This record gives sequence, structure tokens and C-alpha cells, in this order.
Amino acid sequence: MSYIDVLKETRNVMTPGSSACQGCGGELILRRVMQIAGNNSVFAVPPGCMAGAGVDGWNFSNGCTAPIHITLLDNTASFMSGVSEMYQRRGRTDVNIVAIAGDGATADCGFQSLSGAAERGTRMLYVCYDNEGYMNTGYQRSSTTSLGSSTSTTPAGAAINGKEQQQKYVPLIMAMHNIEYCATASPSNMADLVAKIQKGLAASKRGFAYLHVFSPCPTGWKFQPDQSIQVARKAVASNLFPIWEMENGKLTLTENRKPITIREFVAGIGKFSKLSDEEIDAIQTMADNRYATLQKLAAK
Amino acid sequence: MAKRVAMTGNTAAYTGASLCRPDLIAAYPITPQSSVVEGLAQMVYDGKLDSNFVQVESEHSAMSVVQGAAAAGGRVFTATSAQGLALMYEPYFRMSTLRIPMVMAIATREMTSPETIWSGQQDAMSVREAGWIQMYCESNQEILDMMIQGYMIAEDPRVQLPVNICYDGFYSSHLIEGLEIPAQEDVDAFLPPHSGYTYLDPGHPQALDPLTPGELMLQYRKEHLDAMARALTVIDEVDARFASSFGRSYGGLIEEYEMEDADVVIITIGGMSGTGKDAVDAAREQGIKAGLIKLRFVRPFPAQRLAVALAGKKAFAVVDRSVSFGWSRGPMYMETKAAVADADERYASFSAIGGLGGADLSFDHMLGVIRKLDEIKNEPGEREPLWLMQN
Repeated sequence: MSYIDVLKETRNVMTPGSSACQGCGGELILRRVMQIAGNNSVFAVPPGCMAGAGVDGWNFSNGCTAPIHITLLDNTASFMSGVSEMYQRRGRTDVNIVAIAGDGATADCGFQSLSGAAERGTRMLYVCYDNEGYMNTGYQRSSTTSLGSSTSTTPAGAAINGKEQQQKYVPLIMAMHNIEYCATASPSNMADLVAKIQKGLAASKRGFAYLHVFSPCPTGWKFQPDQSIQVARKAVASNLFPIWEMENGKLTLTENRKPITIREFVAGIGKFSKLSDEEIDAIQTMADNRYATLQKLAAK
Repeated sequence: MAKRVAMTGNTAAYTGASLCRPDLIAAYPITPQSSVVEGLAQMVYDGKLDSNFVQVESEHSAMSVVQGAAAAGGRVFTATSAQGLALMYEPYFRMSTLRIPMVMAIATREMTSPETIWSGQQDAMSVREAGWIQMYCESNQEILDMMIQGYMIAEDPRVQLPVNICYDGFYSSHLIEGLEIPAQEDVDAFLPPHSGYTYLDPGHPQALDPLTPGELMLQYRKEHLDAMARALTVIDEVDARFASSFGRSYGGLIEEYEMEDADVVIITIGGMSGTGKDAVDAAREQGIKAGLIKLRFVRPFPAQRLAVALAGKKAFAVVDRSVSFGWSRGPMYMETKAAVADADERYASFSAIGGLGGADLSFDHMLGVIRKLDEIKNEPGEREPLWLMQN
């Protein structure tokens, strides 16, 4: 079945009326994950943009039509471990156990519980929508924020020009947990994203599945809402966000034969508008090296 | 059939917990609690206990995993001490405010700094405003029995709150006493299988704990406080039911010892109570009309039963194995004072503080407290706190 048919034939689990920003990548990712997982699921969405947008059921008129819990910012994977254990115990393996969290809840304060649940092989799917920062609380930096990004806690100032560190590469760290399934995806390639959500759900019946999805954020990154998919496409094209998956210990890289430059990717994005040539070069070097590492890991 | 054996407090704790047939146990080691989860691991790995055993990477996750399992309708158990309790504070507070019942053992331990691993009650006392029911045990038999009573109290529809069973690290957790293990079938007859509400169920979809406006929050908090107040009754009821099933009564909220004709009263918490009772016996031989109240539950605080027990007495002291930094006294002394604030009597009283960080809380200390009470009993008013140190 083509991904379009999959999306046509599955029902939205999240109701209309979310208060997410126009052009929100996270909202699109969450809708797709939820509709493919379906109503026979238990969801966790910790504090962050998606909780703020009403997914956890705040404003009495919109939210989620499946059972959902707003976990703590730092315990999503461990809370869902407990839920999963009880469903396994009762033989209810048909129920999908799904967490959808931002990069702060995943890569920063939630990282310990995520790592623990992955190491234990908890049967669940964990999806991170990575918009490179704490967008719901006003665009503060996280450990996945790119070098040089102007955020509200790493402003482009006269003395210090934006974030001083390169981003932490969480998906490969998760792959090294020897989990059932680990993949990156982008809403700019919906066929690939849908297929990976389906694979992740299937893998979650055997063990821990992790999806790291690029989440363009017009409000925090400062670009026009109608450019979201284009920004996501360029992130992939520039190798800032390479697309790959790892199953049974084998990494498969979606080859990017004609990469664009980081300079082309950052053009027109507000949070990168003050990047120096040195910073652009440093991000380019990091992206090139990371892609080369992935190519080596994917080598037959 | 019940079995008579000798075991440590930690063994009593996990034996009691296992008799309650938990669906899920989350385990993370910390001194002096570790042998509780080790013992449960051995039982599960030997096939003697049918529980899901989740080995977490921190106490924060221990409380989170049991929270998830309980939200999915399971009966759950974990245990901790001191720094582990502090680390799990975030999901710990949420457990009680979600109104999800469970039992957690705390082998109580002093809080760092200064760096310490030894006994004290500062850890559990510090979280007494986190909405859990909290009780303190004196003997290993009491530890085992209170695990069973704990689930019955927690799961009572009038209560629906998590329960901490606390006992002194090392002094109780590692010392061996003789006790009776109830037969599994007797526990099964006493404690029905858990029929916890499954909050997260695709058959009945709902949002668990959405962002809540203040007016509704006020209502929830009031209901939580009302449940705490109802627990005062339930705790005494469960003690009586336990006594009729197993022949052991602990007095419910408080235990009274030699109180009938007492003039001066020493109030104790946990394992120190045995020493306190010996001191009461010795004081009586010396002609001092001494009595003892063992404060078993501190949440809910048994204010009324304390006030009744202290009615007509002349003097009291509370021996705290922890401090209240703001009051510069022991925390249970301050709460006892509040409990008798409307009494007809004007008491002579003082706060006694000792046993911190594993320091000895001796017979001489306890007798010293009683003697001082006897000296001041005819002159009402509060005296300076007495620090029970080596001279």
C-alpha cells in the first residue's frame, strides 16, 4: 500500500483544533505517528510544544482520542516502560505503546530514562521530534541545537555569537544501545517517514524502537511557515540531517549523492543569520565527518 | 501455615511485599535498602514470585516505572533510601497527587551533607508534605506486617493514596529478629487481589492528568486532604482487622506503652521505641511515672489520638531522629505541639534530637529524657531542645 493510501485510510487520532504554530513540523510528525499507531494505543507526550498545543487534552475541545498522559519532562521512557510491562503481563501485546517527545525531553533531561528503557529492550516506540531547542518555553538551546544558532539562551551577541557547541548526535547514540529498530526521518520525505513509523511500531512488539525526526520550527528558527518542508528538505540535502535506519545491527544509509552545502541550508533561516564564515565551515566539517562515519557504518 | 524464622528488617520487608503478589517491582540499589530488591530479584529469578521485575537506571525511573504500571492498573512495589528518595521526588510527589495507591519501603537514612550512609529519619521526614501516607516501624515483625496492611490501607476506596513503610536503616534493615511469616493463603484471604483502575486503557480513552486550572486543582487538593483525614479511620480499622486475622495489633496510628497512670511521656518514632520502652520500665522502678507513645503514622498526623493520649499528663518530649531547620527543633516535636495546642493542660515539654547519621540513641539518652521530664513536670512551658550526644 502506498503511503498516501495509508494516510487516507487511517483515522486521525488527534482532533482538529490544535494550537500549534502554522508550519509546525512537530504537529505534522505527531499526527502521522498517532494516526498510523491508531486508537488501540497508549500515548505519552511530555511537556513541550505538542503538550502546549493541546495534544494532552487541555482546552476541553481538542486533544487526543486515544489514552494519553503528559509525562514528566524527564521520565517519558521510564513511565511508558511501566505501562508496557503491564500490557505485556496481561498479554495485551496488540496495544501500541508510543511516546512522542521533543529534543529537550529526549536528549537532555530525559536522556537517562530513555537510555535505561532502550537498554532494557522495553517494548515501545519512542519518537523524538527534534526542533533543536526548547521551543515551547521560548526557543532556548538544547544539546541538539546546531553550532552558532541564535536562541534565547545563546543569543547572537557582541561578545558571543550564538551557540558555542556542535549538536549532540542522539540517533547514533540510540543505535549503539543495540535496540530493535533505530532510524532518522524527515517530514520532507513522507513516504520514508510513514514506512519508518510502521517499521518502528512492528519493532516495538519485539523490543525498543526509536525514531529521530527532523522538526522544522518556523517560530523558533525564524523562517516563513510555508517554508517548513523546504527547510526540512534542505536539512536532509545538506547532510545536516542524514537519513538512515538500523535493524538487526545493520545500518542502512539513504545515500545523498548530490549534497548541497551548509551555506545553502542556512540561507534564509533567522537563527543562522549572524553565522560567521568560520562557524559555517565548522558545521560543514562536522556534517561531512558525520556523513562519512555513517557511510563507513553502512558499508557492506 | 505461618512459619517462625529469624531475619533482617530488609528480608522482612521483601518477604512482606512478596506476600502481597505485586504485578511489578522496580529495582535500583542504594544502601541500606539494597537487599530488599536483591531479595525480590532472587525470588523472581528462582521462579518463586510472579512479578515483572524492572531493573531501572535510577530511583527517578524506579518511581516512574511503577507509576506507569500502576496507571495501567498494576499493584506495584519499590524501595529506597535517602539520596534515592531525593532523586525520585518529582515522580514521588506526582504518585500521591495522581491518587494512585502503592507501597514503597524506605530504609531510612540521613541526608547528605555531611556525606553519610548511616541511619536517620531526615530522608522520609523531609518528604512528609508530598501527599503520601507515611508510617514508621519498630520491629522486623512490624515491617513485614505493615507491608500487608500498607496495601490494604493504600487501596481502600476511601483512601486511594500511596503508602511509605519506613524503618531505620541498619538498626532495623540489617539486624536480625525472630518473627512469624504469615501463610500465603492467609494473606490472600486478608488482602484481595488488586483491582486497580486502568487509567490508560484504549477501551476507555482519556487524558490522564491534563493541564488543570486552579479552581479544579483546589478541588483535587481538598479531596486529597479529605482522603488523608479518612485514612485516620481506615488505618485503625485495618489494624483491628489484621489483629483478628493474624493475632497482632500495633495500635493503629499510635502505640501507647505504660500510659494509663503516666505523668511524663516520651514520644518516639521507629526503632528507638524499644529502647524507649526499656527506659520507661527502668524509670518506673525508680518511682517515675513514665509512659511512652510510639508515633507510628506521621502522615496522616494522628493529632486527635495524640491529644487524647496526652490528656491529663504533665510533661512530654518527642525524640526526633531528624531536624526541622526552620524551627530549630525536631519536626515531630513541633507537630505534637500543634496537636495539643487546644488542650486544657499546659505541658512542660522539650524537643530531643539524636541518632543523626547513625549516631547511637542509647538507653541512657532515653532515661535522661525521662528524668529531665520528671524534673520539669510541675513547671509548664517549653524548654530548650535537648541534643542527645555523647558527653
